[in-house]
Amino acid sequence: MKPALDVRDLSYHYPDGKQALRAVSFAVEEGECVGLIGPNGSGKSTLLLHLNGVLPERHEGLPTVTVLGLPATAENLPAIRRSVGLLFQDPDDQLFCPTVYEDVAFGPQQFGMRDAEVRAAVQEALAKVGLEGFGRRSPHHLSGGEKQRVCLAGVLACRPDVLALDEPTSDLDPRGKRELAVLLQSLKATKIIATHDLELVVKLCGRTLVLDGGEIVADGPTLELLSDESLMVKHGLEKPHILQHRHPH
Amino acid sequence: MRHDFLDRYSRLDSPVHRIPAFVKFGAALVFVIGLVVAPLSERWFFAVAALFLVLVSVVSRIPLSFIAKRLLLLEPFVLGVGILMLLRPDGLTVFLSIFVRSTLCLLTMILLSNTTPFSGLLQVFRRMGAPALLVTVLALMYRYLFVLIDEAERMQRARVSRTFTRGRTHLWKLLATVVSQLFIRSTERAERIYSAMCARGWR
Repeated sequence: MKPALDVRDLSYHYPDGKQALRAVSFAVEEGECVGLIGPNGSGKSTLLLHLNGVLPERHEGLPTVTVLGLPATAENLPAIRRSVGLLFQDPDDQLFCPTVYEDVAFGPQQFGMRDAEVRAAVQEALAKVGLEGFGRRSPHHLSGGEKQRVCLAGVLACRPDVLALDEPTSDLDPRGKRELAVLLQSLKATKIIATHDLELVVKLCGRTLVLDGGEIVADGPTLELLSDESLMVKHGLEKPHILQHRHPH
Repeated sequence: MRHDFLDRYSRLDSPVHRIPAFVKFGAALVFVIGLVVAPLSERWFFAVAALFLVLVSVVSRIPLSFIAKRLLLLEPFVLGVGILMLLRPDGLTVFLSIFVRSTLCLLTMILLSNTTPFSGLLQVFRRMGAPALLVTVLALMYRYLFVLIDEAERMQRARVSRTFTRGRTHLWKLLATVVSQLFIRSTERAERIYSAMCARGWR
């Protein structure tokens, strides 16, 4: 079976010379849910931007990212952007249209769906995130949690095979976090979630990647890695509270 | 923080608000052209037009004080030109003509923009064949103007909370920092927005 995501020897430095990723390699099977954790500035967001070809700026040389067997080259970009849905950290960056409806419809329209299909996709996506009837609202007048859910609807409306989520819970209150976790669990897509919310990782992700200084320093089953106190502390993380009580007494 | 000083009343519900955007836009356009080309001697035309606009304002449920304030805010720009005309020999008629026409045109536009959501107007522009790039830029401008104001306000607050001296020059220097910071942040945000657009298939 082809892996959903295959990243081979990916290195990247920003135009200002800062090295953000060093020889990152990993593969994600279809349907897997992978947590991506690491301290601030470890390269999590940069890595996610590579997954649907927003980075690198120019697609030259050998492609380092393969999505469902499709290498990320310049000509494959439209297909890759369609199959990988990317959720950005700051909802204000992602909600760039004057109304919620137009924003959720943006992706489907870009991918050339017909009007009726677009309407159906938007309705379906808004219903999934529990925001039916929000279509005519303007993003500026929504709460943080609502904005986050509209962003997710905008991604889901493209019906992606892979979801790459950057800090999906950072703007949410505890109830919002619980609801998002349930929603994400119900989605069949392959997921990779970059977050500082370790409890979310424990809840949703069977496998975890630890990124530090642009390198993958650990890759394995979530419970095993997150219970390893010395590993967590060494990389600016901590053993999550819900795992504190799982020790055999 | 929620800023909506641009079109605060455009989301009200009234008979005027319920008229489709393209009808209102078309009517406003015809109205403005009429006001500009009608000769000033046809006094009854201007009287009827003024009466009609007042009627629309009342039906639209927009507070009249708000409309008056908007007019006062915009009028000086037009009156500046009108007052220069007063220096000419037959200036008074020209001045009156400019004053009446501009006031009624401004009133029309204020009513249009406050009874129609901006997104509705944009759709009308798009359907009329305005360049897609222009419509996109307008949409983005409308969307991020408020985000920018919020950001400026947050920075201003952070600054005030740590300002202990009250020197004038000091204040100006700080203001310069805020403005430059705002510029840097905006360009960075613009880049992130562009990435987000690309990520959903923008070409």
